[in-house]
Amino acid sequence: MLKLLLKKQLFEIFRSYFYDAKKNKARSRLATALYIGLFVLLMAGILGGIFTLLAVKLCGPLAAAGLDWLYFALTGGIAVLLGAFGSIFNTYAGLYLPKDNDLLLSMPVPVSSLVAARLSGVYLMGLMYSAVVILPAVVVYWVTVGVTASAVLGGLVLALLISLAVLVLSCALGWVAAKISQKLRNKSLVVVLASLVFIGLYYFVYFKAQSVLQDLLANAGTYGAQIRSRAYPLYLFGSVGTGSGAAMLAVTAAVAALCGLMWVLLSRSFLHIATSTGKTARRTYRETALRRRSVDGALLQRELAHFAANPAYMLNCGLGTFLMPICAVAVLWKGGSLFVMLDALFADTEGSVPVLLCVLLCGLASMNLMTAPSVSLEGKSLWLMQSLPVEPWQALRAKLRMQVLLTVPPLLLCVMCAAMVYPLGPAGLLVTAVFAASYALLGALAGLTLGVKMPVLTWTDQLMPIKQSAPVMLTLFGGMGYTILLFAGFLLLPGWRLGFAGYAACFAAANLLLCAVLHRWLRKKGAALFAAL
Amino acid sequence: MLRIEHLSKAYGEKKAVDDLNLHIAPGEIYGFIGHNGAGKTTTLKSVAGILQFDQGEIYVDGKSIRTQPLECKRTFAYIPDNPDLYDYMTGIKYLNFVADIFGVSAADRQDRIRQYAGLFELTEDLTQPIAAYSHGMKQKLAIISAWLHRPRLILMDEPFVGLDPKASHLLKGMMRQVCDEGGAIFFSTHVLEVAEKLCDKVAIIQGGRLIRSGTMEEVKGDDSLEDVFLELEGESC
Repeated sequence: MLKLLLKKQLFEIFRSYFYDAKKNKARSRLATALYIGLFVLLMAGILGGIFTLLAVKLCGPLAAAGLDWLYFALTGGIAVLLGAFGSIFNTYAGLYLPKDNDLLLSMPVPVSSLVAARLSGVYLMGLMYSAVVILPAVVVYWVTVGVTASAVLGGLVLALLISLAVLVLSCALGWVAAKISQKLRNKSLVVVLASLVFIGLYYFVYFKAQSVLQDLLANAGTYGAQIRSRAYPLYLFGSVGTGSGAAMLAVTAAVAALCGLMWVLLSRSFLHIATSTGKTARRTYRETALRRRSVDGALLQRELAHFAANPAYMLNCGLGTFLMPICAVAVLWKGGSLFVMLDALFADTEGSVPVLLCVLLCGLASMNLMTAPSVSLEGKSLWLMQSLPVEPWQALRAKLRMQVLLTVPPLLLCVMCAAMVYPLGPAGLLVTAVFAASYALLGALAGLTLGVKMPVLTWTDQLMPIKQSAPVMLTLFGGMGYTILLFAGFLLLPGWRLGFAGYAACFAAANLLLCAVLHRWLRKKGAALFAAL
Repeated sequence: MLRIEHLSKAYGEKKAVDDLNLHIAPGEIYGFIGHNGAGKTTTLKSVAGILQFDQGEIYVDGKSIRTQPLECKRTFAYIPDNPDLYDYMTGIKYLNFVADIFGVSAADRQDRIRQYAGLFELTEDLTQPIAAYSHGMKQKLAIISAWLHRPRLILMDEPFVGLDPKASHLLKGMMRQVCDEGGAIFFSTHVLEVAEKLCDKVAIIQGGRLIRSGTMEEVKGDDSLEDVFLELEGESC
């Protein structure tokens, strides 16, 4: 039974790599290989590369000082944080909210088997994120210090223990999220705000970590002695990686105890939480005057309601909307000194700082990907849009409008704030504003185009179209590629010869041209494709 | 009101509907009967403009669903076999949304929501998210939304599934009232007793082909509809 459920869970997780839901058939080997290759490139190439560089920076000095354990304690700690951070948003939904929970619970399936199968999904997600930190760290250690049997055993055991610790932490957070979710009324907003605070803390720690690490390397001996005397479990945790037998036994026992505790907690609460409909106070309908809206207004309202009701949608596809106002305030607060520093840094290439500003704006706007999964998110209720007297293009336009509405105003707010602390000049300000708005529009159109071309309507969990679908991935990477091209083009091609205003105007013109092409395609072929889904 | 001419629709090699002809006049409750996979849902979805068909033509009030889809859709309402509504909306927001799409005036929608929600005893739940509704409640909400714009033709796929006896009785009365006011109803059902008592005309479909249609008397004669249906099924097998 457990084997069957695990197979189903794994199939669901990796389904999109092997199965084309749109064509309702298996992908070709080439397509599967390409999808897997892209994923490996992102995880091992980019994330793994970043953490390999960090490991190289830390390993030599700490190993030379005889503080190998501190090296593993640091990298292991980062792995646990990244693993838990990476999977925190999936744990609650993945454990308690899958649509097939009711179906499986109605079958002669032991609840423990169902919990174990669900946990395998959470474990894999945590393993994936923690492995990109700890595996490079272990390999760098072997290369730096030398490969011995104890080091190999210690490294592997540490990686395994970290993945289990991440699982425990994720489940604990998922359980807390479930408990809170049962009590809250405006849970979507609360979840988003809590997540934003978490993200803020994460980045605060991340940026502080740079200076903390430098300080730590400079005074490694002192800090090592203090940690060893005041936080002995941390010393033991780090010593696992060095191959210390006693540390391996102690930490393994601790992690096993935590896993056992988590299993008991989950086994007892899973059924209650997974089948609970919540205990929030019931609001009785009291008739109020109903307002009549235009068809376009109603469709836009529908898109906004869908966005606001789904924390995963907001966090994964609308983070820019929340971060842009924060960024605007930050620019007003610290932007002046930052721009002065950047001006000095790029003194040789005039116009670099406004281009960097545009890069930042692109980065923020690229976090908004609402249109990319919006077609897939219609899911089984697509029949409504198809049977109501609504032009397919009207339905698509509402999706576009939502993204533009939630992206362009906060983006322009950032531009205005930047202009208040940096002398862009009227022409520069105008070009920057047009460029930013045209980029936001292009992102929305590109996401929608991909969403219409590659819809997945047969999902069992909304996270699938939001996080794992090709339109979202391609729009995200497309935005990154565009941003790199914007900056590299200015410095390397060299676009600086055009001056900032000329260079940005060229990009804005290209954006508008692409927008026109995509807009035309969506109106004609895209609308027809949407109608025929 | 509804004319289906030589409708054909295939899924790959399999013909779901094969050269189907039906004519539903104003004032008629038309039942559509057939076993699972006979082609009922495909036909209803084609009429509702959800499925694009391969051959034939469908006219709603004289207008082609293929060339004038919006005009047709403004005339009818469609209720699917499984009411997958917008889970992220509350009942009242969903009804208001549908009323906006059909351009129902604020006063009319207020009156009709009050009337139908009251009849189906759904008023108190209108502020609950649809995600928290049971299947029956969703079905009631889908029915209320279908009646909001006073459509002249109502297409329903297994409308009685999930409804409690009181709501079923209410729905039958509402269907009859639509027809008495000059509208028409085209619905599929597996409940032959309901079809026998409620329908003016009935069509039996098997393997995508219409095997019998006409007034209830023409189709069943002195037998029960169940006997005729089973006999026809047996003959075909």
